[in-house]
Amino acid sequence: MPLLINQQLAENDKWQTLTDAEQPLPAAGAVLLPLERFTAAQAEAGSLELAPLVNGDDDINVVLEQLDQLTLVGIEISAFTDGRGFSFARILRRAGFKGQIRALGDVSQDRLAFLTRCGFDAFDIPAERYSNEIANAFGEISVNYQASSDEPRPIYRRD
Amino acid sequence: MYQYTEVDQTLVDERVEQYRDQTRRFLAGEIPDEEFRALRLMNGLYIQRQAPMLRVAIPYGLMSSVQLRQLAHIARTYDKGYGHFTTRTNIQYNWPTLESVPDILAALAKVQMHAIQTSGNCIRNTTTDPYAGVNANEIEDPRPYCEIIRQWSTLHPEFAYLPRKFKIAFTGGPEDRAASQVHDIGLHIVKNDAGDVGFEVLVGGGLGRTPVIGKVVNPFLAKEDLLSYLEAILRVYNLNGRRDNKYKARIKILVNALGVDKFRALVDAEWEHTRGELKLTDAEIERARGHFSPFDYQGDAVKNDLNERLATDADFRTWYETNTRAHKVAGYQIAVVSLKPYLQPAGDVTDVQMDAVASMADQFSGGEIRSTHDQNLVLADVREGDLYALWQQLVEQNLARPNIGKLTDMIVCPGFDFCSLANARTLNIADQINEKFEQVDYLHDIGDITVNMSGCINACGHHHVANIGILGVDKKGEDWYQITLGGSSAADASLGKVLGKAVAADDVANTLDKLLTTYIAIREGNESFLDTVRRTGLEPFKESVYAPAH
Ligand code: HEM
Ligand code: SF4
Repeated sequence: MPLLINQQLAENDKWQTLTDAEQPLPAAGAVLLPLERFTAAQAEAGSLELAPLVNGDDDINVVLEQLDQLTLVGIEISAFTDGRGFSFARILRRAGFKGQIRALGDVSQDRLAFLTRCGFDAFDIPAERYSNEIANAFGEISVNYQASSDEPRPIYRRD
Repeated sequence: MYQYTEVDQTLVDERVEQYRDQTRRFLAGEIPDEEFRALRLMNGLYIQRQAPMLRVAIPYGLMSSVQLRQLAHIARTYDKGYGHFTTRTNIQYNWPTLESVPDILAALAKVQMHAIQTSGNCIRNTTTDPYAGVNANEIEDPRPYCEIIRQWSTLHPEFAYLPRKFKIAFTGGPEDRAASQVHDIGLHIVKNDAGDVGFEVLVGGGLGRTPVIGKVVNPFLAKEDLLSYLEAILRVYNLNGRRDNKYKARIKILVNALGVDKFRALVDAEWEHTRGELKLTDAEIERARGHFSPFDYQGDAVKNDLNERLATDADFRTWYETNTRAHKVAGYQIAVVSLKPYLQPAGDVTDVQMDAVASMADQFSGGEIRSTHDQNLVLADVREGDLYALWQQLVEQNLARPNIGKLTDMIVCPGFDFCSLANARTLNIADQINEKFEQVDYLHDIGDITVNMSGCINACGHHHVANIGILGVDKKGEDWYQITLGGSSAADASLGKVLGKAVAADDVANTLDKLLTTYIAIREGNESFLDTVRRTGLEPFKESVYAPAH
């Protein structure tokens, strides 16, 4: 599936997403695991690099507690109407997370700009929703009023 | 009134082009139906029984004559020559084509208007008192704060996919003409014991199938904390509101499930984070207030011929007594333009009428017009000496029916004739009531009363908070109407109680007649209908409607 990182199409991605609970962990590499399995697997990770994949029903505080050990947090958007991921990303950035926040699931063009403002910097886009125009999404609206992850000051506190 | 900055203008202009491209991609099959639905809703476009319906935002119900003329132009050019003012002070067009919507939005952007977030599961237009800034009982004009909220909520990146829609209403003092207690958030300007002005915050009010009166979540919020507190509430709601069942997704359900104390604790914890970054600056508050500075009132307005006019023209006098309200400045009056003429749908207005009201506003009221929660228009700053000329022009346009606050000043949703969710028709029943209660003297004897009607439990017509509420229900394919008594959306807000079993369609006006006859028989002194119901309870009214005929 096409992956956008920092608004560019990424060629190489080391992360493998394992959502099938039956599928065994690989011996090496970088793996994105649903939060519960991520928590359980950490002890035996060995040389594996692990990252949590959270969905709207998960408790984001579990991730916050170990933020300094993470380089990536995946946020699963189970349906485009599920807006909880927007708040998760803001909370992670507010807590100082500098790693990658990647959106997976029902991710498509018309939400990319808002997701970016909230702190996402990577998008795993289903192939059928990808087009060459997709990056247009980032430049459609060039102004905003709110403080968010990309701009800590609301418009009335900017110089 | 507020004038767009370069940022405001850029935002609406770019938004039009963004939506134009979304429409193009949808028509080319690149955006799935469900997803386009969400996108068009956030630009005010519904698809209804007859055709698409476009809802245009009128921020806090305030427009200039230039804007109203543009709304008339849109009605003429893209619709069938009329528009419909809603209970959230917006205007709806019932007949635009999907393809023409980007052009309509472009026409709106030219006059500093838009349809952003007028529907969909996002923060909607903030509404307020149509007499803001001109009524003597207000503590402060709420409109600057509404404008501050408008900017914060417009294209808020985090809150575009909430569990459900989110509505905020603001009042400037102890009177409530914005139904603020049945909004997701109600904000009231209050003064604390120290004499500081701030906001009382209510949360979790709403109508629909689970009507609830909002609860106080914060009795006194400092002005500078307005946005930080709202942002905290919205984040708590976005994360915790139910998403599994759209009938349980409004914030009122969350607040009821947690209890207001637990909800408050969650908000307070989140507020710790937002308080610093979103603190409003004095400069920002002053900037917003600067856009709503009082008119240049003329001291000589008190010298006028109003009393002679009232003495010599009985029709004018009736209109004056019913359709004007006291202004805080001597020599001025607030004039209400009735959008409830005889046998016309409540809130409908033609392009010709809109143009006429725009020119009346230019001649008599500083070029500004307000829309009200009960679907009328207001000219807020009319010199008493101009009232007679204004009235004559209103009469010419069929906008001077003397019924503001009276029985025929009903809020009525479009019902089955236009709405795909309806269980029953409403417009025919409104006509039936109008025919039955045409007599002005009788209406004036009944006095102030609210009668609201909805065509299904979604309650767009606010029937729960009417003194007499009428709800259309479907019984085996037939239209029946359930009556509630004792509701109010004013400062003493309450939910109506069901009178008894539903009445048949051709019996609604007769039933009202029985209720009113009972009221007149049992009222004490000048007691209003509502006060009588509150004093006596439903019993005498039940008896008059359901007792077997003698
Ligand atoms: C004609 C098509 C319409 C449809 C399909 C429609 C649909 C709905 C639905 C489903 C709700 C309930 C939402 C909820 O409780 O979450 C609702 C609420 C509401 N509608 Fe409409 N509506 C329509 C027209 C109107 C009109 C013309 C007005 C204004 C006169 C209006 C004013 C309202 C208001 C004020 C509410 C708020 C109730 C609340 O706060 O719970 N609607 N509408
Ligand atoms: S109350 Fe029901 S019938 Fe009336 S407009 Fe709303 S959804 Fe339609």
